[in-house]
Amino acid sequence: MNRRHFLNQLGSGFGSLALAGVLLDDGLLAASVSPGVGSAVKVLHHPAKAKRVVQLFMGGAASHLDLFDYKPALEKYHGEKSDFGEHVEAFQNGLGPWMKSPFRFRPYGECGKYLSEAVEPLGDVVDEMAFVHNMVGRTGVHSQATYLQATGFDTPGFPGMGSWISYALGNMNENLPTFIVLPDRRGFASNGPKNWGAAFLPTHHQGTIIRPGTENPIDDLIARAKYVSAESDSRTLQLLTKLNREHQESRPGDSRLEARIRSYELAAKMQLSAPEALDLSQEPQHIHRMYGLSHGLNEFSKEINPVEEADYFGRKCLVARRLLERGVRFVQIWSGNDNGFPRRNWDSHEDIQRDHGPLALGMSQGAAALIKDLKQRGMLEDTIVLWTTEFGRMPSTQGSKGRDHNPYVFTNWLCGGGIKGGISYGPSDEWGYKPLDRDNPTQVYDIHATILHQLGIDHRRLTVRNNGIDRRLTDVHGHVIDELLA
Amino acid sequence: MKLVVVSAAGLVALLIGMDQVSHAEESQFRDEVAPILQQRCLSCHNDVDHKGDFSLESATVAFREGYIEPGKADSSHLIELMTPVDGKAQMPKNADPLSVAEIAIVRKWIDDGAKWPENFTLTETAVADLNWWSLKPLHRPPLPASWSSRTRSTNGGRPDDSSRQPLRLRTPIDAFILEKLSDKSLTSTSAADRLTLIRRLHFDLIGLPPTPETIDAFLRDDDPQAYERLVDRLLDSNGYGERWARHWLDVVHYADTHGYDKDKLRPNAWPYRDYVIRSLIEDKPYERFVREQIAGDALWPNTEDGITATGFIAAGPWDFIGHAEVPESKIDGKVARNLDRDDIVTSTMNTFCSVTVQCARCHNHKFDPITQEHYYSLQSVFAALDRADQKYDADPHTAYRRTELAERNTELLREKAAIDAEINKRAGSQLAPIDSKLAELQKQKEAAKGARPEFGYHSQISPRQDVEKWVQIDLGEPTVIDSILYVGCHDTFNDIGHGFGFPPRYRIEASDDESFQTDAVVLADHSQADVPNPGTNPQTVKAPGGLKARYVRMTATKLAHRRNDYIFALAEFSILTPDGQNAASDKPVSSPDSIEAPVRWQRKNLVDGYYFGVTASPDIQTQIARLTDERQAVLKHALSDDLKAKMADNETELKATTQAIKSLPAQSMVYSGMVHHGTGNFVGTGASGGIPRTIHILHRGNVQQPRQRVGPGAIPIIASVDWKFQLPESHSESDRRVALANWIVARDNPLTWRSIVNRVWQYHFGRGLVDSPNDFGRMGKLPSHPELLDWLAVEFRDGGQSLKKLHRLIVTSSVYRQSSAHDERNSQTDSENVYLWRMNRRRLTAEEIRDAVLSVSGKMDRTMYGPGFQLFVLEHPQHSPHYEYHKHDPDDPTTHRRSIYRFIARSQPDPFMTTLDCADSSQSVPRRDETVTALQALSLLNNKFMLRMAEHFTERLQNETDDKLNQVERACRLITGRQPTTEQLATLVAYADEFGAPNLCRLLFNLNEFVFVD
Repeated sequence: MNRRHFLNQLGSGFGSLALAGVLLDDGLLAASVSPGVGSAVKVLHHPAKAKRVVQLFMGGAASHLDLFDYKPALEKYHGEKSDFGEHVEAFQNGLGPWMKSPFRFRPYGECGKYLSEAVEPLGDVVDEMAFVHNMVGRTGVHSQATYLQATGFDTPGFPGMGSWISYALGNMNENLPTFIVLPDRRGFASNGPKNWGAAFLPTHHQGTIIRPGTENPIDDLIARAKYVSAESDSRTLQLLTKLNREHQESRPGDSRLEARIRSYELAAKMQLSAPEALDLSQEPQHIHRMYGLSHGLNEFSKEINPVEEADYFGRKCLVARRLLERGVRFVQIWSGNDNGFPRRNWDSHEDIQRDHGPLALGMSQGAAALIKDLKQRGMLEDTIVLWTTEFGRMPSTQGSKGRDHNPYVFTNWLCGGGIKGGISYGPSDEWGYKPLDRDNPTQVYDIHATILHQLGIDHRRLTVRNNGIDRRLTDVHGHVIDELLA
Repeated sequence: MKLVVVSAAGLVALLIGMDQVSHAEESQFRDEVAPILQQRCLSCHNDVDHKGDFSLESATVAFREGYIEPGKADSSHLIELMTPVDGKAQMPKNADPLSVAEIAIVRKWIDDGAKWPENFTLTETAVADLNWWSLKPLHRPPLPASWSSRTRSTNGGRPDDSSRQPLRLRTPIDAFILEKLSDKSLTSTSAADRLTLIRRLHFDLIGLPPTPETIDAFLRDDDPQAYERLVDRLLDSNGYGERWARHWLDVVHYADTHGYDKDKLRPNAWPYRDYVIRSLIEDKPYERFVREQIAGDALWPNTEDGITATGFIAAGPWDFIGHAEVPESKIDGKVARNLDRDDIVTSTMNTFCSVTVQCARCHNHKFDPITQEHYYSLQSVFAALDRADQKYDADPHTAYRRTELAERNTELLREKAAIDAEINKRAGSQLAPIDSKLAELQKQKEAAKGARPEFGYHSQISPRQDVEKWVQIDLGEPTVIDSILYVGCHDTFNDIGHGFGFPPRYRIEASDDESFQTDAVVLADHSQADVPNPGTNPQTVKAPGGLKARYVRMTATKLAHRRNDYIFALAEFSILTPDGQNAASDKPVSSPDSIEAPVRWQRKNLVDGYYFGVTASPDIQTQIARLTDERQAVLKHALSDDLKAKMADNETELKATTQAIKSLPAQSMVYSGMVHHGTGNFVGTGASGGIPRTIHILHRGNVQQPRQRVGPGAIPIIASVDWKFQLPESHSESDRRVALANWIVARDNPLTWRSIVNRVWQYHFGRGLVDSPNDFGRMGKLPSHPELLDWLAVEFRDGGQSLKKLHRLIVTSSVYRQSSAHDERNSQTDSENVYLWRMNRRRLTAEEIRDAVLSVSGKMDRTMYGPGFQLFVLEHPQHSPHYEYHKHDPDDPTTHRRSIYRFIARSQPDPFMTTLDCADSSQSVPRRDETVTALQALSLLNNKFMLRMAEHFTERLQNETDDKLNQVERACRLITGRQPTTEQLATLVAYADEFGAPNLCRLLFNLNEFVFVD
């Protein structure tokens, strides 16, 4: 059996069978015009600018006002009774006085973008970043909002963005999953694995969880039993293949039987390539330092602190870079667990400074390192980094130091992959309460449409029929935001 | 009318447009122009959205802005907007431009004078056309000619072994299939051998592999009816219910947690799962099965099945936060409840009717005859319901007795009310003071019972300890104070313990000045030195004699330490008068701040008479006794003997019925769709008598844009039945559900019967006669064998609606008994085997693999029913449960039951099962995926369950025989059913010798032959 036939039959490295892919050159040179192995999109709708995506997802709803969307008005009117000029429904009625950010803002980069000191490390790369300050959600309920930003729908039962992209573009390295998820090690955000489920797409398009820095980073990658050894494993595989081959030869015409034999060979390859991809000891000291991993600590303080946050987030960013380098198509990195106590998430109802401070410093160090590192390797030009969250937070106080949910406006930023750097698109109003232009907000559909566009896909043409509807990542909405494109 | 702003041309248009529209002009507009405007413009330019301040809904508004100049298409702004330049037009926004032909039609209309028929309004397009296969009335089609001319076979039911024989006509199914095969020039495949058949039947009907003994017995059985007897035996077994319930639960997206955020547990979901298993085993007529799930509580109120069946309504995901933390009055609360009803309606109509009504939530269905009005009428059917735990009696006698007693109790209470009214008339003025005192004492006595959740008052949290915080009682008027009693908190919630929040320094003062600026009398002063935390021991301070004051305040001058912050909390603050009464009871409490988190924490808990450890003092008991005597005396004096007797009888009987209700066996609970009596944000409709919420059509599905109000109804697909339910004005909420259930199982419903037989067919063959089992609409697939589908549907509907009968009919057909062998020639014509020229080989499902592994390892526990076993360790169940699958011990014997009894976490599903294509309970899964992936290979090789079971399999083999050769041979038979070849046996024995039997067993679990069924 030749390589072409093999790849065609197996579809993606994770074994899609029905989807015969377009064979790529070994060097993946053709990626700007044709997709990967096992792709549903046979020919890209237009030449692609990007071929990989990293999504940084802040669970619990990160405050735009305290990180990226500077509001002098809040400093001026801090402590005064808030007045939104209309009836406002807040999730926990957090409509106290106007509240300035506890963090200082100053301009960074050539573009002079004001950033909060809590995300200072991103100042180094701000000229690469495009901010979207007029994002609006649909509700201020965590679960629905997380679903919306992760899958484009506010109810369960829809594939994650990474699943769609895996489905559309297939695989660039058959020995690794196409879509990898790096969750917060302290627990899942709202909806857990359903945010990266395949839903009605074939199961192998779901995100595969990897937990860097833990004892068992990938489920079931290796056998943990005394009776299994490297030698027994290879002999088992040999004999299994022989017996399965005999079974298959007496049942011609069924490609699944052949595919299943191949799936064991791929599994063996993955057993070798996955640990290699996760082995950070291969990285030089200066890279460790850049990602915040050279703190020399073996354990962290019980209180939330930036060193620990940088370690957790930076480690995932570094692993993400290694995975992307090895051909993984989509990496999703989560910051923030379930919205419980003590807070290890962005849902700062009680105290912005206490939670957002360490979380944001940790996040921004890892994110900035990732962007710099991708850039110095020439990968930033065809890798999109998307920073997103559930919704924003209110410009008024909740309690005395916290902020309530604000689904009416929040911030996303993107960079790399043909996104124009150093720009801020779609301002919010002077309070950061709603978009300045309320009639023309940006929604998740627009972000998704823009990312698909950069990947060479027309979001309106990527459809899958499910229960009577031709489903899209962008539902019936979305338009490409031309202003963000370089 | 805003004619002032209308341009001259617009005004003319109004005048021309409204009048004198000829018949031809009217039809030109109606048939050609209106459809274009409706389809391409109206979704934004209607009277509600009014995008760009322009609407096309009616002539009045359409001509108002002067975008249309009658007679002059060239100068009409509308034409300019829709005409593309370089392939892009300004309108429609973000969509493809209108076609040249469409623009030409609009131009011509304007050039012809833009005649708009009088009173004609554009409405969103709706499909009304019922000309679609699934909506046509169901008639029994004639059987193919081959059936009547068939020759009775003489080989006594043994499988045909002669290949290339045309299909033997065992059942009418065979005739239908054969007819299509010959139409397509396809040939059937020879019958499968008996070993293949028994393995196929076992997995298909009970989901478990046959044992070697069962196989041998079947192979030896020379009864001509051996196959049929095998089928009957399997259908009669409990395993049948356990296997087929899984199919049903996939469709209704059942799980044991809510899903969404938190993914909290539903500890009482399983009775519905058991109901499905039980119903299938009992082979309940299908219409009963349907009606129970939608309205069993109303139709069969005293039966276990009637109640547990309504778990169907609640089976899907539920947004806990959207309901429990957001009230229905808020927009987010409305959204959550709208989505909740959407899930119920979608599940009901997809499951039973295979129709995608959910497409009409935001706009009329684009392809099927379902408008938004129909859709919201379906929401209205369920509008009184929420998802909650419903109590029920598993024993119908108990249920009956409970109802009877409750009815009698209600009657007695009514009687009592009449008696009380009479008493009130005669002795009201004398009784009133006694009764109010008694009530107060009773309350104090009640308060003394055990730990209750009303912990007390809790201040806001302070970062500093030296902040003063206080609470203050307003007695309403200056009152003589004898002493103060105050008690620390006991927080059971986090096991924080006694004296939580009790300040180390404080003082207590009384004054007539609300602000305590003047006249403050100090009752206790502990502000100079720390006092030890008294825990929950009541503290008393005596007031100086004759002290009279309106306000009493306790000020914490040094706050209590919490974690790294500070608070003031107190359980109870009583102000006792010289006669021992608590003057503070239910009086207003003020404080500079408070965490109001009812019921645990709120200001009013401070004066509710309850604190941890409170007991009724003997004094209270005496007082109650005294007052009761007093009351009796009043009554004795005031009432007639007749009334007294009546009262006594009533009292005795009421006591008896109340006692009888109490002594009934404890009730069970099922998580179901029901009228909910809740508190806090999640109140449900119970408090308002279970009256359905008002349902409006929601413009674009937006809860903030309600339009016309709708009543209960379904969809207009049964010619003889009005889709609107004709219910009397005074109907109850369950009448609506009964009406829907009856509509679904109506004999004339064209969808219901086709839907269920298609599902059953699909599970047997791997592909439905209609390959879109949840969608028989225009976006679904066409039936491959429409006559067969209709024949099965009628046969099923009119033949007792027995699923088992249907299974028997299908699996005893020759089509089902075919081999799954490939045929190159057939494959070229029909590579997907749509026409069933062979049987389909299939991969086992996740549950079948797990159950088969347990079964061959000798570990399977066949205990049926009850709460689900958990393949995870549950952590943090109070807030956001973590389902830690990697911490589960695969040797835990309680988890060795069949997979149908597995506890299913919706948002955090079992990774092992998910990798094997287990159903996603977030959505209806009418058909399982069947993927083959490297991750699956890794799971089956390395998952700890597989690794441990390989060892148990080894133990089983070693217990059965000492001989190594026999062990290997036995292992192969258990795994594949067949004898290994001599060469295979030799290889495997050599391998086992070198690497040990557990490795052999692990290898066998990974064979294609194990995970595929021919």
